[in-house]
This record gives sequence, C-alpha cells and structure tokens, in this order.
Amino acid sequence: MFAAMFTGSTGSTGSLLSVAQSFSPRVEAFGAGSLVLLDASGLSRLFGSSRELGKYLLTAISVSSASSAALDAPAYPLHASVAVAPTAVAAMLLALARRGLTVVAPEQEAAALAPLPISTLAEFERIRTAPSHPRTPAPPHLHLLGVLLKWGIRTLGALAALPGPEVHERLGAHGVAWQRLARGQDDRPMVPRVDEAPFEGVIELEWPIEGLEPLSFVLARLLEPLAVRLEQADRGAAVLYTSLRLTTRAVQTRALQLPAPIRDPKTLRTLILLDLESHPPAAAIDTVRVLIEPTPGRVLQWTLLDRAQPAPEQVSTLIARLTALMGEGHVGAPALVDSWRPGAFAMTEFRVKSGECLTPALATRHSSLFTLHSALRRFRLPIPARVQVREGRPVRVAIDRHGFSSGTVVQAAGPWRTSGEWWTTGSTGSAGVSSASSAALAGSAPSAAWDRDEWDIAMTDGTIYRLAVERQVGQWFVEGVLD
Amino acid sequence: MAAKAAVEALLRERKLDRTLTSVMPERLSDEALAPLDVEALDRGLAGGLPRGQVSEVVGPASSGRTSLVWAALGAASRRGEHVALVDTFDRFDPPTAAACGIDLSRLLWVRGQAISKTAGAVDPSWLPGVRAVGGPGTMVERAIDRALKALNLVVQSGVCTLVAIDFADVPATALRRLPAATWLRIERAIGGGDTAVVVLAAAPLARSADGRTIRLEARQEGDACREREACREEDLGWERDTDRAHSRHVSPPVKHPLPVKHPLPGQHPLPITHPLPSVIWKGSHDRSRRFSGVRTAASITAARWSQASRVTFETTAIGVV
Repeated sequence: MFAAMFTGSTGSTGSLLSVAQSFSPRVEAFGAGSLVLLDASGLSRLFGSSRELGKYLLTAISVSSASSAALDAPAYPLHASVAVAPTAVAAMLLALARRGLTVVAPEQEAAALAPLPISTLAEFERIRTAPSHPRTPAPPHLHLLGVLLKWGIRTLGALAALPGPEVHERLGAHGVAWQRLARGQDDRPMVPRVDEAPFEGVIELEWPIEGLEPLSFVLARLLEPLAVRLEQADRGAAVLYTSLRLTTRAVQTRALQLPAPIRDPKTLRTLILLDLESHPPAAAIDTVRVLIEPTPGRVLQWTLLDRAQPAPEQVSTLIARLTALMGEGHVGAPALVDSWRPGAFAMTEFRVKSGECLTPALATRHSSLFTLHSALRRFRLPIPARVQVREGRPVRVAIDRHGFSSGTVVQAAGPWRTSGEWWTTGSTGSAGVSSASSAALAGSAPSAAWDRDEWDIAMTDGTIYRLAVERQVGQWFVEGVLD
Repeated sequence: MAAKAAVEALLRERKLDRTLTSVMPERLSDEALAPLDVEALDRGLAGGLPRGQVSEVVGPASSGRTSLVWAALGAASRRGEHVALVDTFDRFDPPTAAACGIDLSRLLWVRGQAISKTAGAVDPSWLPGVRAVGGPGTMVERAIDRALKALNLVVQSGVCTLVAIDFADVPATALRRLPAATWLRIERAIGGGDTAVVVLAAAPLARSADGRTIRLEARQEGDACREREACREEDLGWERDTDRAHSRHVSPPVKHPLPVKHPLPGQHPLPITHPLPSVIWKGSHDRSRRFSGVRTAASITAARWSQASRVTFETTAIGVV
C-alpha cells in the first residue's frame, strides 16, 4: 500500500516531508515537496487499517501546519489531501484530484480513478517532471491533453477503456504510458529519498596500529554509532565496505556482501575481522573507514509450530569463520549446473530459508517414496590406475595407492561413453582429457573438453570402483567409489 | 536392591545416570529423533538418529555407509532442516547427492582438501587466504585437524540440525592419534540441543552415551569362484606380487592354482571358500550388465541396549531402469 499527501502549496514543503518521514522511512517527494509519496507497507501493525492511517496522516499534517503557522487550524486543513491506494500512481492521482481522505481497497484502483478528470494526468505529469529551472521547456507529451480533449475523452475511465493497440498507433508510447497511469498501474518503482548523511564512519589514528586485535576496538567505536543510526532508520547493512589507509599510503578496501540485513555491531565487527584475517593489511593502519550500504530491515513472523530458523547473524558469522579456516570456495551450498560433465557442480552462498518447511504430514508422505540410493564418493584428483583389458573389458586393476583394492575384476559394467565441450572455443585440440584428469596428468590448467568411457567394476573384496578411461590418451583413472 | 538404588541415585546426583544400562532404550519423542525415512532402518534405530547425540556409521568401502549418511541428510533437508557435511577429503558428489534426495540448497558443504597422496597435492595452509592451523605436520593430519575445527564451529553455531563428518578415507593411524577430549567437546556442544552429529568412518570411532552405532558389512555370499579366479589369473599371467602389496582383503595369491575339487555324490558341488562381493547387477550378458546396487546388512547398537538389532537392506543405483 502507498499513501500520498498533497497540499497544493510549496510553502509547507519541509513540513509535509517531515510528516511523511515520521511515518515511514521510505518517502519520495515530487514538485518541490508539494506532493509526497510514502510506502505504507507494514504500517498496519502500528496504525491499524488504511483508513486509520489516513486519518493519522491528516491529523499530523494539520498539527504540523498549525505549529508552523502558530495559528488555530481546522481539524483537517482545507487544502490538504491524503490518499491511500494499492499502487503509487493511484494514490498520487487521487491525492491530486480529491480533497480530504480517500482510501482505495486492493484491486479497486481503476474504479476509483475512473471518474477523475483527464486534466489530473496533466497536472500529475507537471508535478512529477517539475523542471529544475523555470525556463526549461515543458515535457513534450503534455500536448496529449489537448488531443484527448478533442477526442472527447474527459475522464480517466474513458482513457483506460480505449483499446491499447489503437492508442499506441495514434498516440505512441506516451499515450500508452498515460493509459497505464489512468488504469492506476505503476510505471516505475518507488525511488525513496536517500538520507543525506551516509552510514559512514572514519577514524584517523594518532599512531598507526598493527595487528587485528587493536583494530577490533577501533571498529567497535566506529560500528556502534552506525548500528544505532541503522536501527533508528529501520535499516540493516547489505554491503559492508572497510577501507584501510596504510602507512605506505596504500588503501586496502574490502567489501562484504551480507546474506541478510544485519545491524548488530558485534556481528559486523566479527565479520570484518574474519575477512581481514584472511586478507591481512600489508602495513600498519593509519586510517579506518567503514561505509555501510543500507537496506530495509527484516520482518519475520515467528511461529510456534515450526522449528526456529537460525538467525542470519549466526549464519554469516559461521560462514565467515569457516571460510577463514577452509579457504575461499570451500564453504557454501552446492548447486547443479546445466552440463553433462561427470561431477559438475557450482558452489553458491549458503542461505537460511525460512517459512518453507514441509508440514509433518507431507514429510511423512514423502518418506515412503524414498529408498536408499547408492552414493558415489568422487575423487576430485582422479587416481591413475593400471588396467588390463581383455576383449575390451577391464579384467585386472592395479592402483598404486595405499587403501585401494587391486587385483581381479570380478564383474564389470560398461562402458558408458560421454563427451562434451569439444565444440567450445579454447578447448584443447585433442579434446580428449577431462578437466580433472588432465590436471592430474599434466598439472596444467584444466581443459573444457572431455571424451571418455566409464566402467563400474567390482573387486573381489566387494569394493566397487568407477573407472574412467580417457579415450584420446588411453589413461585409466579411478573416478570414485560407489558406497 | 537398596544398594543398587543408592548407586543409581548417586549417579543421577552426579549427572552420570546416562551410563545406566537397560534392556531397551525408552522411546524418544519424534522431536528428539532425526529419522532416515527408510522404514527398516528407522525401525531398527527406534525412530531415527537421536538429536543431541553423536552417532556413527561405520563399515568398509562399498558397504553402503555413505548412502546411509546421505539418506539421513536427505531426509532432514526434505523436512526443511538445514544440514551440514564436513567433507574431510572432498569426496562429496553433488549430482549424485541431489539424485539421492538431498536438497542441496539446505546443505552447508564444508570442503576439505582433496588429497590423493600425489606429489602435486598442495597443502592448503600455503594458499593465500587460508589460516594456518597448528598441529601435527603431515598433510593428512592437518586436514583432519581442520575438519574437526570446522565441525566444532558448525555444532557450536546451532545453524544446522544434522551435521555429518566424513572420516571414511582417513587412515586409522591418524584417527587413533586424536585426543579423547575431541569427541567429548562435540558432545558437550550439542548436548540438550536438537543437533545430531553423525560420524562416517571405516571403524568405530566415537559415539556419545545415547548415540547409535550403525555397523555396516557387505553381505557376503558364498560361491565357488575361487577356482575360476585362480584359473583366470593363471591365464592372464599377472604379476602376483602387485596383488600382495596392494590388496586389502584378498587372500594372498598362490604360486600354483588349487586343484579343482570334484564333489562327492550328495555333497555340495563346491565348498564355500571365497565370498563374492555384495554387488547386485542388472542383466546377465556382459554387454547389457549394469550396476544395480549393493546388498548390505546393518547391525545397530546403542550403549543402553543389551542386544544389537540387525537390519538387512539394499541400496539401489540411480538411473537404473
């Protein structure tokens, strides 16, 4: 839901904007502040229904105008109007055209806009595209008003009822845009007014510091006031920039993408320190600068029926600690990729999903469908093997590694031939060695192409290996163990 | 009886009452268990893996041990829980795991270093951005140390409700060097919580007092293949010293093949001397044969059980029609 406020005069610019900001942090002002739009999503928990919110807004405008003019004002100022509607365009058009309070139910915006005069669109365009300089020419599509009046189109409902293709044929893209406005459809997302002061903190140290332990105290001093400001603005950190100016005049900047909005200063400090632990500064630190890119805070509906989900702060800290321990690219959630390459996968960021739990009944129903499937333990570095082949089938295997079975192949199944990526540019001319196997062979960068046969073999002790032979070079590898 | 009651009261006072033995454990509530969604195993486990405990799945290679752990991870992820796998030597295969039913988006995969004991393997502590971990010097031991530290971090965070650690390919000598306090620390971290820890290993390694041990063994089927193998080896003229050096369970080859025993009338045609692997194949012809699965028997024990329950089940190959 969106709420729009219009006063008709630019004298109360600051007061109208401050009224809107006292209700919601997401505010957009038009026409030098005479028309203000605010995002009313989530305000129902504080102010009740849309109508009650509108009444609160009107009362706040009257109180603000009374205090600024120091005069007795009526309950609702005569020139003020407030509209609450499901779309931003509908709210603003209704605020422009109707005085007092107007509330539109969801999916009723087109019906509410239908009786409004067509000149409201021209007024709306004039305010929304207010020129920064008085001598700037007016937008060219304002001449549409004259055309529509000549056609006999007097109301927004009449414009909305016209067939879309014919409108585009005769009036072009501007005509279609006006028709969308007349139907109450938003033509662009809301662009909230950005707080002038960025969420940034800087400390220039009297003496350079070395090591991360003294840096943690500096970060605490920087982050705590920023966290307070974030909380006041109902914001969380989406991206965290840490810039360190070193004594060598070099500047080291690190950016942390957070999986969820976080404003806990201890968590933010821990994340910065863990990241710097993996990427330590090359010299002593002279100046510390922290910049936070804000994003709206999380709204969570807790439930007593589902298992509590871990907080994003916990997850972010855990991932940062694990990454510092195991290395980049070694922590995350695996994801499948659109490829026939054996064992192909991608690492993605591990995120906590909430609200997607299966109900117990559904989980029970699924349980009967699943059986125990054979797992494959894949060797990322394929192990070379010597294989004796008779009539095209492996009959004996020798693996020069401890802990692997060697000897007679009791039974074998295969081959399954796969190849791919031989058509891509940059692949090797031989196009025969798979990525991991080629790296194991030559220690070089993996090639994209592969062409090989796979076998499942059973050894006498019951171990089942998956073998692969690179067809171009004839080298056998142990791909993994079926377990 | 009075003395027994006094001892039990003393144990409860010292919070050591979990060591009291009984014939069967009491049935835990559904919230205290993490079922595997495999009916036979869940029945044998009295509902599933207990939460707040360290359980273990042990067995030789190709016995179905990894399949069982993946089944537990898949069942938990399908219930909407977040699960974690500490993969010591980076053996996890995501495409196979997805086909096994694991919701990969709910899996936190902590990848260790892929070590194949080749000269080209790089110690991760030399890589930029990796914190050096102190401890014993060999690469394998450092990989184990790093995996245990990762396990500690995961269980202490409480983010995941089922955490598995893969020690299946870790040499037994390296595991024996782990201090006993390692697993006690893990048990204390998850005690009273809803996190279940599963250790995947080749031999029994660690289990808390109320945890479960699932010991898998490939179901051996006797068959007269020894002579056939011997004849085949003779035909191939294979260098048998290689077998002696690298085979684990195969009996040492002999210089001369055993003479074929002709059965007496009324006797079993050939003695059961050499077991066949527990592999199930689909198709009889060489060209049409496909790997179908593994036949496995699991013996499930717990500290409070006087007897182990035995479950026989099979794994099924993915994609076999």
